[in-house]
Amino acid sequence: MPLLEIESLDVCYDDLQVLWSVSLQVGEGEIGVLLGPNGSGKSTVMNAISGLVRPRGGAIRFRGERIDRLPTHAVIDRGVAHVLERRRVFPLMSVLDNLLLGGFIPRSRPTRAEQLERVLGLFPVLRQRRGQLAGTLSGGEQQMLAVARGLMSRPSLLLVDEPFLGLAPMVARDLLDVLVRLNGEGMTILLVEQNVEMALGMAHRGVVLESGRVAISGSAREVLESNELRQAFLGVV
Amino acid sequence: MSAAMLAQVTANGLSLAGLYALVAVGLTLVFGVMRILNFAHGEFVMIGAYLTYWLFALWGVDPLLSFALVLALMALLGALVQVTLVTRVLAAPHLNQILLTFGIAVTLQNLALLLWTGDLRAIKVWYASTALSVAGVSLSLGRTVGILIAATLTVGLYLLLFRTEYGRALRAVAQDPDAALVMGIPIQRVYVLAMAIGAAYAGAAGVVASVSMFTYPLLGFLFGLKAFCVVILGGLGSVFGAVLASLFLGLVESFVGTLIPQGGSWAEAISFIVLLLVLLVRPRGILGLE
Repeated sequence: MPLLEIESLDVCYDDLQVLWSVSLQVGEGEIGVLLGPNGSGKSTVMNAISGLVRPRGGAIRFRGERIDRLPTHAVIDRGVAHVLERRRVFPLMSVLDNLLLGGFIPRSRPTRAEQLERVLGLFPVLRQRRGQLAGTLSGGEQQMLAVARGLMSRPSLLLVDEPFLGLAPMVARDLLDVLVRLNGEGMTILLVEQNVEMALGMAHRGVVLESGRVAISGSAREVLESNELRQAFLGVV
Repeated sequence: MSAAMLAQVTANGLSLAGLYALVAVGLTLVFGVMRILNFAHGEFVMIGAYLTYWLFALWGVDPLLSFALVLALMALLGALVQVTLVTRVLAAPHLNQILLTFGIAVTLQNLALLLWTGDLRAIKVWYASTALSVAGVSLSLGRTVGILIAATLTVGLYLLLFRTEYGRALRAVAQDPDAALVMGIPIQRVYVLAMAIGAAYAGAAGVVASVSMFTYPLLGFLFGLKAFCVVILGGLGSVFGAVLASLFLGLVESFVGTLIPQGGSWAEAISFIVLLLVLLVRPRGILGLE
């Protein structure tokens, strides 16, 4: 049984349908990657998983349990963390407050101090900045904070939406290393990314969305070598 | 102006400021968290005042004793208003939100008029007329208690917001609701909490007002108007700004009332003049963002 299973997902914003029968799976311990041009519906898939948007049809299962009718806090409580697009740290709160909020759910509170140490070990720069307002951090530091904050709830599935966007190559490399390392320790990751080669280089599975429909789906290698991908991303690959 | 006079006018201003702060922090908190302007906020003050009055008139419960009960009842009323009414318009256009809260205000005013008539009600307690004199400054014991209550509750709100788990969650929701959602914060519960606190604090102002002035169905209108003034002056959504603006307005009103001939009649208008002047220089208010 895959850890995350999405089956013919339909999502509408008012009268506008943005996802058409999208299906995908991510197995325990895998890195899945969602690819596709801007506006193809990648973030909507992520938002549907964490319950920020309600699907009109289809099913989302996590560990075999339907989660598509649950409120967001219940989804998070079951072990999903969602690192939103564009970082979305709480700008007027300290780095420490941001991290503590990441461990807000009751399940993660008893071990929050330990987890804080672990996360600060993964991102040493945040330790130096812990008293600083999150809004005053650089873009790269904010992205690290956003990922670190997501890890605070000890998730078994980490959703990360375009974490490398706008980062300096060195910073992106560091972040990528952390994600790969986390996966090595057994964490399942679903990543939204625009950079096809980089994403498929680290992932086990890939799904390419096009105008809200699945265009290609399969193992990272299959997706990378498919002709459709070359067509969809003409000039990119 | 003599030193004693200066101290006296300052003391009067503080007493006014405390009352304004109690009303304003709730209004600004609710706006900060939900982005809703609660036009019925002043009416919460009025209900709190009537609750205190009736507990006193019917069963002789001293306002100092009924204080905790009134706060709890008002928190309950706030939660009820949130769950049954406000929650329905959270995603609606601003005009619908304004119509709803304005409708609640008019309903509560008329309900009070219907149930309790338009008579002016007063609570006579011994400490309201007993003056406390220190170094030539005299302030009624009732007013002193009012200032103490306002100061305690304001510090209490600060501690709640900055020293508790749910306070941190409240601030998170105010800054970015979607990001707060994915932290696993049950945002609807946070909304109920914010409205309950807002109503309870307005109720506290009602208790203080019921002792120091008359209680009548339109009492809330005056407080609501003044609270809007304070909240905009302090910066919409900023609790600390609201406290600063309350102090500022309370003191200004007190000094204008004393220093200017026939200043008493100017005191009411001065808040709005100050508001206009500040907004001319700083449109976002004292501590407002953006």
